[in-house]
Amino acid sequence: MTGPSNPLAPRISTARQVGEAFRNLRWRLVNNTFRSSMAGSRLRLVMIAICSAIFWAGLFFLFFGGFQFLKSFVRNMSDDFIDYIFSMFFLSLLLMLFFSAGIILYTGLFQSKESAYLLTTPAPPDQIFAYKFFEAIAYSSWAFLLLGSPLMVAYGIVEDATWKFYAIFPLFFLAFVLIPGSLGGIAAILVASFLPRRPKTVLSTGIVLLILIAVFFGVRLWRTPGDLLTSAWLDGLLSKLEFSRHPLWPSRWMSSGLVASVKGDWATGLFYLGVVLAHAGLAYLIAAVIARDLYRVGYERVQGGRSSKRPRGWYEIDAAFHRVFFFIPRPIRLLILKDLRTFRRDPAQWSQFLIFFGLLAFYFINIRRLSYDTEHASWRNLISFLNLSVTALILSTFTSRFIFPLLSLEGRNFWVLGLLPLERASILWGKFAFSSGISLVATEVLVVLSDLMLRMVPAMILLHVGMVAILCFGLSGISVGLGARLPNLKEDDPSKIAAGFGGTLNLLVSLVFIAAIVTSLALPCHLYYFGQDNPDYSSQAITESQFHFWLSVAIGVSLVVGILGTILPLRIGIKSFEKIEF
Amino acid sequence: MIELRGVTKSFGTKKAVDHLDLSVRAGELFAFLGPNGAGKTTTIKMVCGLLRPTAGSVKVGGFPASSAEARQLIAYVPDQPYLYEKLTGREFLRFVVEMYGLDPRASTRRINELIETFEMGDYVDDLSENYSHGMKQRVVFASALVHDPKVLIVDEPLVGLDPRSARIVKDLFVSQARSGVAVLMSTHLLSIAEELADTIGIVDHGRMLANGTLAELRERVQIHGPLEELFLKLTGGDRPLVDGPQLVESRDAIG
Repeated sequence: MTGPSNPLAPRISTARQVGEAFRNLRWRLVNNTFRSSMAGSRLRLVMIAICSAIFWAGLFFLFFGGFQFLKSFVRNMSDDFIDYIFSMFFLSLLLMLFFSAGIILYTGLFQSKESAYLLTTPAPPDQIFAYKFFEAIAYSSWAFLLLGSPLMVAYGIVEDATWKFYAIFPLFFLAFVLIPGSLGGIAAILVASFLPRRPKTVLSTGIVLLILIAVFFGVRLWRTPGDLLTSAWLDGLLSKLEFSRHPLWPSRWMSSGLVASVKGDWATGLFYLGVVLAHAGLAYLIAAVIARDLYRVGYERVQGGRSSKRPRGWYEIDAAFHRVFFFIPRPIRLLILKDLRTFRRDPAQWSQFLIFFGLLAFYFINIRRLSYDTEHASWRNLISFLNLSVTALILSTFTSRFIFPLLSLEGRNFWVLGLLPLERASILWGKFAFSSGISLVATEVLVVLSDLMLRMVPAMILLHVGMVAILCFGLSGISVGLGARLPNLKEDDPSKIAAGFGGTLNLLVSLVFIAAIVTSLALPCHLYYFGQDNPDYSSQAITESQFHFWLSVAIGVSLVVGILGTILPLRIGIKSFEKIEF
Repeated sequence: MIELRGVTKSFGTKKAVDHLDLSVRAGELFAFLGPNGAGKTTTIKMVCGLLRPTAGSVKVGGFPASSAEARQLIAYVPDQPYLYEKLTGREFLRFVVEMYGLDPRASTRRINELIETFEMGDYVDDLSENYSHGMKQRVVFASALVHDPKVLIVDEPLVGLDPRSARIVKDLFVSQARSGVAVLMSTHLLSIAEELADTIGIVDHGRMLANGTLAELRERVQIHGPLEELFLKLTGGDRPLVDGPQLVESRDAIG
């Protein structure tokens, strides 16, 4: 009873109607999001605009200086060198965009409530894929545009490019992002269809492989023989980057096309643009065909293939935790343990933590390869404070993203905690202890590693260890306290809680706190070491006795700021949390 | 209109649905009852084409459940309604109209009728991120009906609805069924099954235990009391333990 003979045969929505419905939907969503952002969280929008502008300008000047340096010091081979740099840049982006688009598409297509809803409508699978694909491309490539546009503008200015170059490079970019995006989409659908129970295994294997490949090539590059920036060294370096210029890599097409376009060689430039566009179209077409045939199958397998495997207990670790921290009241200990279990069972948390701090550790380990340890004392002092600041900044993003939303998420289940024989303040102290504990372990190790590599004196290492402790307690206090003062009990997505007004304010306060602590201690140290290395400028520096005095003052000030930064937000948070009604 | 024949759905070694036969005719209001984990939602997802059966066949209006034709006939209201947070209720209804390729003028009239029926006029032009669960549920019901479906599938229809909204929804089920729509409703609320359903199906461990009108079920199980007694008898034998000996003893003591 199917086909035209079936009296119930409905009029099927045409592809054009469905496409128009999706276009209107996207337009309404963008329009409403913009309007509600303008009406609601202007502070956040202004913050984002200012930070993006500063970031963009910083990158532009960095790239501008870099291209000028190349043009004046490696004149005879600057084009070759830039070709290699672009090839590497776009190859790295190819891999990163592949992973990010793949992850976003997997979540959007197979795990979201929206996809479950859309699959019950007349929308064909390839059109649902197209709708989610362009959303994923926008999410995954905005950072690429923010990074790539100052690079291209700086390159164009240094090379005296005509306006046509500035008009054509965005086309190169748009065509390029479709290639890794489509490949990511294909990978997401294939993983869902053929390995529906193992998406996390596939992802973690992919990330580990990527890190291993990056480390392998990183180590090879560091080991390039010869003195830095000599022609022998450059030759050696370029020969090791040769793999990135394989003619079948899209990164090579981008690099060759952009280098030709900047010089006004439009025949070559447009040829490569055509190559990138053609491959982008082909990649998207393959992805759409795979989506048409396999998206529903994959969805069904992911929904039906959920593993009933219980998470590994690691109960011996929990028992050890109870023994080591016997002095903490048991109810608080249990709360900390609950957060620790959530942390280790949520790959989003520990993987970001591991990747960021792992990359920092990799950089610190290679400090001696950069010969920073043989520089003057003032230079090493400066580097050590910069390293400490970067560590603190990464920690602040971690506390803003994961610690700030904890209370908001807890609030939804507050009736569970509310029935426990616990004071509400204990819940906050538990969160604070959890956040400080994890932060201290990760950051102290990194800062000590950085100082040892820089051959800093023991007194300075001790000072940095103390500073990091103040920063860890302060950032944890701010995130827990503000998280309790400005909870978002309506939202159950932690990333959206972190991106809201409270999360943005938390990040802002954290940045001010870091700046206050680092500046107060870095200033006397820098003035002292600068005077030691540059006796001619001693009038602008401080003597040893002045240094001891000002350092003592700075330690006192940072302790006061640290205690205030920890206690004040926590008190505000506790006060608000005790009054809050759920 | 809905035909399930020998349907089995396995998740690994676990059979969520086991050789299930079920049919809902046009104009029939079918209440699908069963304890938690009995296989109701899995069955509904198969009828909506979100899951494919491991064995057997699922057809809607004579078309395979996963086909475009079947989806055009169906409206599905899940227990957790999905709405775009950054759309207003009216914009969401417009999206559904566009998705089903309906005539814009006639649809605008239909949307206004539904806004009136579900008493959504006060909030339908606000962003749905500000809606309560009940408000969202009403918009989702309206979106399910805006394209005049031939099959209405509802999972836990009264969750989060206030008594007035619940009455509107119950009346609507009956009127839809009387106008020829096949309504498949999964619920834990035995009272609404008793009140509204033409046919009741009781499922447990993926198997259909009993299927028929309330009178037929009573006759078969030989229990002529409320549906609750019949349901408990079919799905677990006696009353749950929590209402067992201690409580009975204490009640006796008080008495």
